[in-house]
Amino acid sequence: MCDKNQVLVIQDTDRLENSRNILSLVQGMYEADSYHVTLLALESEIDSVCGYFHRIVTIPDTVYETMNIAGICEVVEYLQRQHHYSSILIPATRVGRMLAPRIARRLHTGLVADVTDVKKTEHALVMLRTAYAGNIMAGIRSVGEGPVMMSVHPDSFSYELEPQVHTTIHPYEKSIASHSSLTLLQKRAKPVTGDIRNSDVLISGGGGMKRHFPLVQQLAETLGGAAAASRKLVDHGVAPRSIQVGQSGKLVRSRLYFALGINGAIQHVEGLKGVETIIAVNTSAKAPICSIADIVVEGDAKEFIEKLLARIQNTQDTQIGES
Amino acid sequence: MRRNSMKADHTEPLRIICLVKFVPDVDGFSYDYEHSRLNRSYQRMILNPDDACAVAFALQVKQAHPSAHIEVVTMAPRTVEPHLLDLLRLQIDTGVLITDPAFAGSDTYATTTVLETYLGGRSYDCILTGTCTLDGATSQVPAQLAQSLGLDHMQDITGIDLNSFDREQAVFTVEDDNDTYTYQMALPGILSLTRASGYKLPYIAYEDFTKDVSANLTVVTNQELRCPPEQIGLTGSLTQVVETFVPEHQRREHRTVQVDEDGIEYIYTMLKERGYV
Repeated sequence: MCDKNQVLVIQDTDRLENSRNILSLVQGMYEADSYHVTLLALESEIDSVCGYFHRIVTIPDTVYETMNIAGICEVVEYLQRQHHYSSILIPATRVGRMLAPRIARRLHTGLVADVTDVKKTEHALVMLRTAYAGNIMAGIRSVGEGPVMMSVHPDSFSYELEPQVHTTIHPYEKSIASHSSLTLLQKRAKPVTGDIRNSDVLISGGGGMKRHFPLVQQLAETLGGAAAASRKLVDHGVAPRSIQVGQSGKLVRSRLYFALGINGAIQHVEGLKGVETIIAVNTSAKAPICSIADIVVEGDAKEFIEKLLARIQNTQDTQIGES
Repeated sequence: MRRNSMKADHTEPLRIICLVKFVPDVDGFSYDYEHSRLNRSYQRMILNPDDACAVAFALQVKQAHPSAHIEVVTMAPRTVEPHLLDLLRLQIDTGVLITDPAFAGSDTYATTTVLETYLGGRSYDCILTGTCTLDGATSQVPAQLAQSLGLDHMQDITGIDLNSFDREQAVFTVEDDNDTYTYQMALPGILSLTRASGYKLPYIAYEDFTKDVSANLTVVTNQELRCPPEQIGLTGSLTQVVETFVPEHQRREHRTVQVDEDGIEYIYTMLKERGYV
């Protein structure tokens, strides 16, 4: 075991399956059977990850509940001293984004955020992520002496294999000295809107629909799908971040995707790799989004929606009249 | 936790430090597919939108507590000075520009080292920042600073309760896809806001357009900070960009239609055939 590359994965407490999906990234980093993966997990949530990781170290749920980020850093630092991980991988969730930089600082190691892929070169592991607001990809390597550290884009990897390793479970037995002054006063569930990653039909608006987003929502409702948005609409406060498509948001796999007034920044296009059919509506047929579309509608997206809605309504009126 | 940051004295006014970054306006970026290069010729610098929310909230605090002291700190080339002066025309008390050629090329780790050195010698009750920057979007520096300064930190904040904000504590809301959380945190600490907070900077008053605020601006270089050269800039960075590229996408054969009767009918028929209408 000691000869193998030691890898530490921090559990994704938002979506448990993402913890397993990170194993797909680990496979891309090391030769088969040359690594040993430890998962740092909450006590109450290890059932679904047994059989995937060689070792699970559990910490009390209260550490997360109290947002004791410094406490988790303390645990990771201790584990690092014991096991000398060659890499530490953290899902880029809300908590993970706060946790990863603090761990990196504590371990005096570089951190690459929101990694969507890796590639091995002769001398180093290169971590890939978007840069310049998703307009370009950057390959980044770690140059310090510490472990390779990255936060991992939650939707970028998928691990399909069945459980196949013997997992040993080790409760973290040292007391955690670090405390947080944070107190959770209230937690309220938001109205259920559904996750755009689960929708078969996505009607997505971009900068060209900045002033007309309700029309996007109306078309989504008419087609029984969900409304989505590009980064530009979210940045302008028109749409919530929860429906943002792309590497800066969510990677989607719908059967049908309408890109309405979306230019097609690289990070957006990267988020559509799993989509079956793309219909791009844009005033310029040369917009980057058009090169990956199955159908290009050249023209104004607002006018397109209004005319399509009228066409659908017209048929429905006729059918009602006939019945 | 190590606490080497300094809490403002009780007899002193509430002190807020806003850490901000001026970033390229990414809406001006476009990719030249013909020549495979990023076209940044129309790029202009703007105050990072999340950071603008942090400053806007600080101004609300000052309105409620006129004795409150707001300091805006940025680490940037000297070229951002006019932007910083504009911020000072919004009733910000002091501006600090941390700048030195030795800082050029700093990654988030080295940037944190510089900011930690400056903040380690300041007294404050709260550090306000944005959550993400438009250009990098890594959210790393505030969290790393929290680690270095021994402070608690929260990001993705969509609102801070003005009435309960004082030298001792802050009560604020944070949102994710499914839930809204309300937290209380002891100060000093670091609070990172998002654009969803909706805090907006006021416009500069007409009479202040040309107001000379240069006396409120301090330029800090490494001569004052004395960060070891091996810990800053490219040398002190623990990550290195080795390549930038545009990924190859599989171009699809497509049919092009117009927004006219034929085009709409074509799309409608396709939707009908697939059972969407």
